Amino acid sequence: MADPVPTQDDLRDNAAFEALMWAMARPGSLHDLPGGIADLVLALVDRECRVLVDDPSLAQVVAATGAALVAAEGADHAFLTRAEGALAVLAALPAGSPLYPDQGATLVLPATLGQGQRLRLTGPGIEGATEVHISGLPDGFIDLRAARCRYPEGVDMVFVDVSRIMALPRSTTVEGI
Amino acid sequence: MAYVATRGGERAIEQAERLYREQLGTIDAARVQGLRDALPWLIDRVMGEASLYDADLAALALAQAGGDLYEAVLLLRAWRTTQPRIAIAAPVLQEDLFTHRRISAAFKDIPGGQILGPTLDYAHRLLATDVLGGADFVPVPVTPAPQAAPAQQPSLAAWQKAMGLVADPPRAEVATDDIPDVTREPLLFPAARAHSLQSLARADTGGVLALGYAAMRGYGNAHPTVNELRLAEAEVMVRHPSGVSFSAGRVKVSQAEVTSKGKSGQLELGFCATFGWNEVKVIAGATLDLNAGGAEKGSAVEEEFVLYHTEPVESSGFCIHFKLPHYVTFQSALDAMRGAAVADPAKEEVPA
Amino acid sequence: MSLSNLTRPWAAFSYGFLDPSAKREIRRKMIKAIAVPGCQIPYASREVPIARGWGTGGLQVTLTLIKPASVVKVIDQGADDSVNAASIRRFLSRVSGAGETWDTLAATIVQSRHRIPEERLRDDQVLVLQVPNPEPLRPVQPNMSIARQMHADADYGRLWLVLYEQMVRSGRIMQGAAYPALVNGRHVMTPSPIPRWDVPKLNMARHLTFLSAGREKRLYAVPPFTRVEPLVFSDVPYKVEDHTRLTCHRSGLTGVFMNEIPQAAGGSVFEASDSHLGIKAIRRAEGDAAEIGPLWYQNGEFRG
Repeated sequence: MADPVPTQDDLRDNAAFEALMWAMARPGSLHDLPGGIADLVLALVDRECRVLVDDPSLAQVVAATGAALVAAEGADHAFLTRAEGALAVLAALPAGSPLYPDQGATLVLPATLGQGQRLRLTGPGIEGATEVHISGLPDGFIDLRAARCRYPEGVDMVFVDVSRIMALPRSTTVEGI
Repeated sequence: MAYVATRGGERAIEQAERLYREQLGTIDAARVQGLRDALPWLIDRVMGEASLYDADLAALALAQAGGDLYEAVLLLRAWRTTQPRIAIAAPVLQEDLFTHRRISAAFKDIPGGQILGPTLDYAHRLLATDVLGGADFVPVPVTPAPQAAPAQQPSLAAWQKAMGLVADPPRAEVATDDIPDVTREPLLFPAARAHSLQSLARADTGGVLALGYAAMRGYGNAHPTVNELRLAEAEVMVRHPSGVSFSAGRVKVSQAEVTSKGKSGQLELGFCATFGWNEVKVIAGATLDLNAGGAEKGSAVEEEFVLYHTEPVESSGFCIHFKLPHYVTFQSALDAMRGAAVADPAKEEVPA
Repeated sequence: MSLSNLTRPWAAFSYGFLDPSAKREIRRKMIKAIAVPGCQIPYASREVPIARGWGTGGLQVTLTLIKPASVVKVIDQGADDSVNAASIRRFLSRVSGAGETWDTLAATIVQSRHRIPEERLRDDQVLVLQVPNPEPLRPVQPNMSIARQMHADADYGRLWLVLYEQMVRSGRIMQGAAYPALVNGRHVMTPSPIPRWDVPKLNMARHLTFLSAGREKRLYAVPPFTRVEPLVFSDVPYKVEDHTRLTCHRSGLTGVFMNEIPQAAGGSVFEASDSHLGIKAIRRAEGDAAEIGPLWYQNGEFRG
């Protein structure tokens, strides 16, 4: 067997996933993602995926994986580089079904983390409760999230602030303070 | 360290593997080549169950496994896991197959003709014991027919459809590049048509035969007639990124269509195809496909029952896994048993 | 674009054995597993070079996580040198260059069949449990499609009925290992065939747990600080194996899960099932420095 040396791609994908995994496992916690949103695309997306993107250069990255570029209604992943369209996307993304909650989509979008609106988070991954600050989301986003996340159905979210991420899986209860 | 010395697991497994491999001896290219040349039908069966078409690798797997079919299939499937998918071949139509053998039991003669091709069907199965005494078995040469049969043959089902005998089955509207692939997506039920046929294609020949035979004996809802059985070669057409289609070579394939009269007053078809030439598997598989429609949940011909229980790597792996130690679960069960023996059920409070 | 930039230079095997696209699929499913704790997520489950039923599900998760800096501990029935554990650990390091350890404290990833170590896992550790049968409803419903519908409806009445019937018939719940538990108040999962002793170690834990069944092609997760409640009746408390008064005849450890070793002359002796904890206890008794982390059970009581 050949020497087990990871390629640069292997290392990048592994690190991006590790950041995402811990971000999801500990909602509200911040994790480094040096390559930003494109690293998440490369670590997750393949030709079996149906992906929504709002940016031409990111669309090229997605297309190179073989994934289909689709509208929000049919997407299993949405990668947004602007917060403007996020409400409409969140309203339309699949939230899975009672039979297959896993068919709820993953929404990746930009936000400013560590400042702005205070949110109180409870649920799996959180010891007691935790507070986060976030800004840059469209008005009504958190309410719409609550409406779309009827556990176990729902949409899982990853907020990207340049090279840091924070996640809110559907299992997290979010309250504005 | 006393705790460790009495265990010695690592050394034991190393030596046990060595013993197995020592008994098989050196594997060289000549042995692999010899297997490939001598056992084409076995190579075909292994390639089908492995869903990996490469006769050299199949022969190598057989050599490494000493002929243990389940081990050989596992070796190939595991190797397949490491390979990237670089292209998707175009779908193959029946009438484009390079047909070596094509027969129908449904009619005495069919458009395009019955073509026997290579078969032992009507041979007397006599063991050539003289070979062991040193007299070679030399096959008698074939006398070619004055006119070769055409390489391409029409599909009998197409004629039946044109005559209104067979319902045209509903087609899934899916781009050919997007046909679901059961090796890259989970198998869910009710299964996508592509997933069912792919699962049958890589199913265990013996397992498919056992369940298919049960269906034939009356545990199914439909009695099959072989509408068409083919052994053929299929051209593998792939598209270069520049847009040009080209042939990446040919693969041997088998396919069977079996039929029976359906409730609708038309004929129903069951279908199975696989890599390599393997008639038993495709006839039994097509019979199971024919029986799957409307089968009762949990019956021996229901799709979920059939596809889960004929997966060669899963079924054989789970069977041999019972050799692994289970003493923690056993200890846990013992504890409950002893606890129950101590407790007097009559006196125990039972929640209402 | 040409064929050469669609693929990579030929290599007999990828880093970490799995093809990158297999890893991407498992990553997507692991994320969904975290988002819906205890819910079985279907995945394609590629074949790996060990037989189905021998840890292929756990192996795929570990191979997806592994990197050269990882340190892996693999146990079977609690033992690091059990034949299958040794084989899996050797495979992992062979395809990844990751470090191997027997010490729970030193591991970044613990892959296990049928046990959770006795030393408390930390918030930076991942536990990967191998699962033979991911469906807690199988004893009452072998058909997976129907069982899935029952999960969708949170229809767990028949499971409760089985436990109730055991109470009536035997005076106690007879479920041994693989005790079903309600996760995050919604999905009943099987914690894999770990003893009842180990199930509380998943409740509100600090570490992240993945459970993966390769043959059955389902994976699920228990994130940190997630409720994992064994199904019990309010007036009949959950009962772990009665091992608290037993002493390991090799290491002198007490208050840990034990293996029973029948003796030719009759009766049994016991040894700690967590073999490396036993080794560390012996080393300490011999005067060597061996760090033993905080245990989940203290004086026979679960502390968490």
